[in-house]
Amino acid sequence: MLQPLRAPLSVLARYAPLAQTFALIVMIFGLSLALPAVIAHFLGDGAETAYDEALAGTFACGALLWLAARGHQGELQVRDGFLLVALAWTVLPAFATVPLLLVLPELSFTDAYFEAVSGLTTSGATTLSDLDKLPPSINVWRTQLVWMGGMGVMVLAVAILPLLGVGGAQIFKAETPGPMKDTKLTPRITETAKGLWGVYFGLTFACIVSFRLAGMTWLDALIHAFSTMGLGGFSSHDASFGYWDSPVIEAVTIVFMLAASLNFATHFVAVRRRSLLPYARDPEAGMVMLAMLGSALVITLYLWWSATYPSFWTALRFSAFNVVSIASTTGFANTDFALWPIFAPLWMLYLSCFATSSGSTGGGMKMIRALVLLKQSFREFTRIIHPRAMVPLKIGGHAVENNLIFAVLAFTLVYGATMVGMSLLLTATGLDFITAFSAVAACINNMGPGLGQVGPATTYAVLTDFQTWVCTTAMLLGRLELFTLLVVFTPAFWRK
Amino acid sequence: MLRDFRVPIPVLARFAPLASTFGLIVVMFGLSILVPLVVSHVLGDGAEGAYDEAVAITLVAGAVLWLASRRYSGELQVRDGFLLVAAVYLVLPIFATLPLMLQIEGLSFTDAYFEAASGFTASGASVLSDLDRLPASINLWRAQLIWMGGMGVVVLAVAILPLLGVGGSQVFKAETPTPMKDTKLTPRITETAKGLWRVYLLLTVACGVAYWLAGMSAMDAVIHAFTTIGLGGFSSHDASFGYWNSPLIEAVAIVFMLIASINFATHFLVLRQRALAPYARDPEAGLVVLAMLGSAILVAVFLFGHGVYDTFPTALRYATFNVVSIASTTGYSNTDFGLWPIFAPLWMLYLCCFASSSGSTGGGIKMIRALVLLKQSLREFTRIVHPRAVAPLRIGGNPVSNSLIFAVLAYMLVYGLTMVGLSLLLTATGLDFITAFSAVTACINNMGPGLGQVGPATTYAVLTDFQTWLCTIAMLLGRLELFTLLVVFTPAFWRK
Repeated sequence: MLQPLRAPLSVLARYAPLAQTFALIVMIFGLSLALPAVIAHFLGDGAETAYDEALAGTFACGALLWLAARGHQGELQVRDGFLLVALAWTVLPAFATVPLLLVLPELSFTDAYFEAVSGLTTSGATTLSDLDKLPPSINVWRTQLVWMGGMGVMVLAVAILPLLGVGGAQIFKAETPGPMKDTKLTPRITETAKGLWGVYFGLTFACIVSFRLAGMTWLDALIHAFSTMGLGGFSSHDASFGYWDSPVIEAVTIVFMLAASLNFATHFVAVRRRSLLPYARDPEAGMVMLAMLGSALVITLYLWWSATYPSFWTALRFSAFNVVSIASTTGFANTDFALWPIFAPLWMLYLSCFATSSGSTGGGMKMIRALVLLKQSFREFTRIIHPRAMVPLKIGGHAVENNLIFAVLAFTLVYGATMVGMSLLLTATGLDFITAFSAVAACINNMGPGLGQVGPATTYAVLTDFQTWVCTTAMLLGRLELFTLLVVFTPAFWRK
Repeated sequence: MLRDFRVPIPVLARFAPLASTFGLIVVMFGLSILVPLVVSHVLGDGAEGAYDEAVAITLVAGAVLWLASRRYSGELQVRDGFLLVAAVYLVLPIFATLPLMLQIEGLSFTDAYFEAASGFTASGASVLSDLDRLPASINLWRAQLIWMGGMGVVVLAVAILPLLGVGGSQVFKAETPTPMKDTKLTPRITETAKGLWRVYLLLTVACGVAYWLAGMSAMDAVIHAFTTIGLGGFSSHDASFGYWNSPLIEAVAIVFMLIASINFATHFLVLRQRALAPYARDPEAGLVVLAMLGSAILVAVFLFGHGVYDTFPTALRYATFNVVSIASTTGYSNTDFGLWPIFAPLWMLYLCCFASSSGSTGGGIKMIRALVLLKQSLREFTRIVHPRAVAPLRIGGNPVSNSLIFAVLAYMLVYGLTMVGLSLLLTATGLDFITAFSAVTACINNMGPGLGQVGPATTYAVLTDFQTWLCTIAMLLGRLELFTLLVVFTPAFWRK
């Protein structure tokens, strides 16, 4: 009974390194508000003061936490990784809402938090309309959230999750050999992050220039490059890419969405070796391309055959853009694809569940897991016919161990159960089935627009507060690959 | 090239035991048509001629096959098991269509085969309307198909599938400990079948008597006892149980649907040991009853809360009957639950995927697989928190081997993939999402009515021929636990 009195100090020591790291992240996040602040001051768009206050407030919070935790020495442990990741994705959006709430007084905290989470998880689901009339700096801030979220996601997928052993993410580390220490997080992550972010910056810069050359203004080019590379899908126009109605801009977008759907570690290796070979060796890259472009073709034929579009070429243009956008979990649209015969949008929705690569900025369960699931199913046929045969499951030539397969399968189960559970919950609160199902699918896959009431022509503002929180939870769960977030809520995690 | 000439004789010898067994089954099936034949003659309901021809054709076909293959002696091999099961469920419905097509003018073969397959797989999805005006013997024949299908299913699940190693069904054999020979099918199956069928017969008689005492006519009591114990759901009335509007009859139905949702091997043990202990030891029984009755209460509260019914007892009456009916994959209704707020029918639809027991006459993935999936997911949380801990997955106290878990997981994947694929295909042919999704779910789970255009107030007659065949395939795949049927279509199955 006396023990609890001794607890506080050891608890402080235990969580001090975590608090320190998190404080640093909050401070950096606060400083990142300088970009929209500068743009707002430069353009004089009326939102200047909002960023000043938000920047100061966020930085102060981070600094206070840092000072409080500074005295205690220690090293980040693996278990802290879960908490750090969970904190980063749940608390930073709260800070990110500050400029939104200050500039848009009508906006509720629920909707603002949804918008911020949607940005930082690179989903692109929005509760805002009249985007064209918003101060440009607000649109920069929204897409900058997507872009920064993308940076976080890559490091999460390539460096952090494999270390945490979440959902079979260890399969992804194929391209980063070298023995890993199991207990220290920091050095390895810093190393990996630098390389990946270099590629990410390069591609983003190329995307900005391409958009400008294709006919966007510099500001729009910046905004849309941010949200393309992060596979987010926020736009500064209500009509999304329908605003330009330009096949050239759409083609540029398709190319960069495809690039961002591939593993950035593969891009990194390809750039360093100045060779395309790494793409061929990546077990996912080819499948991602095939899934997206193949589906674009199938849907083109379907739309043409069902006379949704009079000519094959028009069908191809709209199908290619929207299919790649949805399958890559971006969420741009150049037409209201929810009006297509339901088969097409459904197909796209299912694609978004698995069509992106691990280590990309995309969402969903990732191509590598889909590959494991497919191969595991085939393996079962072999086992039934030859009950005594030992057939290893191979990915990219390497046998995958049973533990990893189990992890992938468990991931899929929890993923499926979450989708079913949440969509049931949404129907229980009064949504129709297609809206509920598509909203959950779009959110958990960090894709953005759903169908029905939350389709590409509308926003998530129609949802009640409760429904909005369900969708917010879905986005966070999807982004953190379910287990990272869920495990923090198990009693076993806090024991010992 | 010359070798081809030598093939026929070994092929004949190889498949002769299979053919003679199948011939015998066809003959017995032909004899079973004598039941509606006699009833028809006694009642003089105008369908007499149909059965005469059907009996003759079926008996001759079976006898010819049996005579032709009789002289090759041999023992049935495990691999023959797959073919035999596939042949029984694909070919017998063809013979079963004969009375239907001879009697009902305008019924296409597609629809007749659907109806027969629906009966024989104990689904209860119907293309027929004006049931009240059909000759009584036709309704008896439809119900009898379900009842015989149920007999097949019980033996399939408890004796055949575990031997074939399909989808982890070996998990089910906990209660049948004797060592099994891996290569000879016949003796063990005969033994098991006798025991189970005695229970099945006993319960059917009890159910029929209970219905009769509760107020049904003798004919209706027989028909509905057949479809209740088989968990099929065909009725002789368009209004299904709405025809009687009797809480007493509905209560009887609920009790017997619950009983039929529990493993018949457990019932068998209970009767032999004259003790209820086997129910407590059955890892599924308690969960099955809990899932169904718990959901019934939940749905009742939901319906009452939404003002669908004025009083709670009324809500409870309708919720209990329809929830148990759908969850047990029977498919009766006493009201058009398709009109309820979508949450309720969706919940029921999801329940029917797993709420019935293995070794029962119900469909879906079965409670035991759901249990394995749940425990495997929870195990993953433990593994993430304690990466080096080895926690075996236990069902009913016994550890489950990895290969069984893999089999269950692969089953789940193929099940999910089939549902997604078939429902996409249905939407591609023009159905709306809710109809397509619910039709596939209702068919693959051998449940019966879906929602939307194929809801409880309508029939599957609205579907095009192509759509009908897709639903037929779904019913067959679901009943044969996917792999049994699919494996026959793999090249590896036919090699060697």
